[in-house]
Amino acid sequence: MSTQASRVADIPSPAAAAARRILFRRYRTYGIAVAVLSGMSYGLYSAFMTLGMSLGVWSGWYEGDSGLSPVATLFLLSALGAAVTDCFSALWALALAAVKGKLGDVPRSWRTRPGAIMTLAAFIGGPLASTCYVLGLQNAGSVVVPLSALCPAIGAILGRAIFGQTLNVRIMAGILICFAASFMIGSTGLTDDAPAHLFLGLAFGLLAALGWGIEGCVCGYGTALIDPEVGITIRQITSGLSNLLLLVPLFGWLGGADAAGMVAAAFTDGQSVGWFVVAGLCAYFAFMLWYQGNAMCGAALGMACNGAFSFWGPFFIWLVLGVCHGMEGKNMPPIAWLASLVMVGGIFLIAVDPLELFRRGRQGR
Amino acid sequence: MKPLNFAILDYMTTVPEACAEDVVEALAPRYGRFRALTVESVRTALLTAAVNGLLEESRCELDDDRDLRLYFRAHPEGAATIIKYTGGPQSRD
Repeated sequence: MSTQASRVADIPSPAAAAARRILFRRYRTYGIAVAVLSGMSYGLYSAFMTLGMSLGVWSGWYEGDSGLSPVATLFLLSALGAAVTDCFSALWALALAAVKGKLGDVPRSWRTRPGAIMTLAAFIGGPLASTCYVLGLQNAGSVVVPLSALCPAIGAILGRAIFGQTLNVRIMAGILICFAASFMIGSTGLTDDAPAHLFLGLAFGLLAALGWGIEGCVCGYGTALIDPEVGITIRQITSGLSNLLLLVPLFGWLGGADAAGMVAAAFTDGQSVGWFVVAGLCAYFAFMLWYQGNAMCGAALGMACNGAFSFWGPFFIWLVLGVCHGMEGKNMPPIAWLASLVMVGGIFLIAVDPLELFRRGRQGR
Repeated sequence: MKPLNFAILDYMTTVPEACAEDVVEALAPRYGRFRALTVESVRTALLTAAVNGLLEESRCELDDDRDLRLYFRAHPEGAATIIKYTGGPQSRD
């Protein structure tokens, strides 16, 4: 909790002070739960999108004799998968906003300055960062995966620089521990790559982390002004449409593929489209809870809790694709389980001051 | 009409201090049909604004029903930031 929230001018009665303590504790616990759930939803969204992209027309597109160029296979299919998922996610967001009576606030918020800033941040963190991520993977290999997990550190630094949020040595140490855990998970794929353009790829990986850091920090702060369920509707419409109307045609043109025909096929493919609908719902919660968690906990803690997606991603891919659908090669490496424990330690260090905990323990005795 | 969250923050710049119950009561004539205009969600919005430095807590007390009333105020910098982004309470809806 920041100092702004805990500053109390008048001394309250002991009963009021106790009730206040409970309320703040509940708010903080809720914020941390929201941020952790965002990482889990992100893992589920990755798993269901990966499942959708392995079935029906998608399996044909990924086969060697599909007639698609390497550029189309790498970039167009990634952008198309993201576009289909984000479009369904935007529909979910609109439907849920309508159910909660917040639909009218979507255009009202969009017209405002924070709405425009949130749209720009969503565009930077959505299509732009995702494309940089794919370009990084293409050029530098999987070393980019842990590199992209630097986004909580970048978000925390930006949160401090732009919005004056709390950042100290303990929080930075916690973020470094989380980054090390992500690196442990990503390192399992390091040996089978021979990066041709390592530094170019690393630069794209850093740009992706910067994009996600900007999105998390700016949209988290924006959620203090705009309702998170309204904000996420703006985000998913921005991301879905910019992927569908900008990136997919661009990569289709670069890769010499019939992008319009592939879009139509992706949205009407009976075998895979249901999984994209499920992935869209998970993506809605992943980003909505991410923004909300960042707003409630501050960018440093919110993004560190969310950063556990580097564990939840492989975990749910193993569970959904490996265990439930019997696909081979989806097992979780043992180091990922160990890394998840390290990550919990890092998040704990950001959330709780161990010295404060020790002091409280001594007072309680 | 402004988004509900903007109206909540705007209202906070017009009063010395207010709790969630005060905000709900003040906004009820215009926003009464909004399902999100509840004490619980307005309190969450106020706490989130406080965590992000837009508001600060001023005091707390127990009401006649022994329920907690948590009061917030917009400090000068917070009020300036709110008005910068929402346009302020006097701006056109």
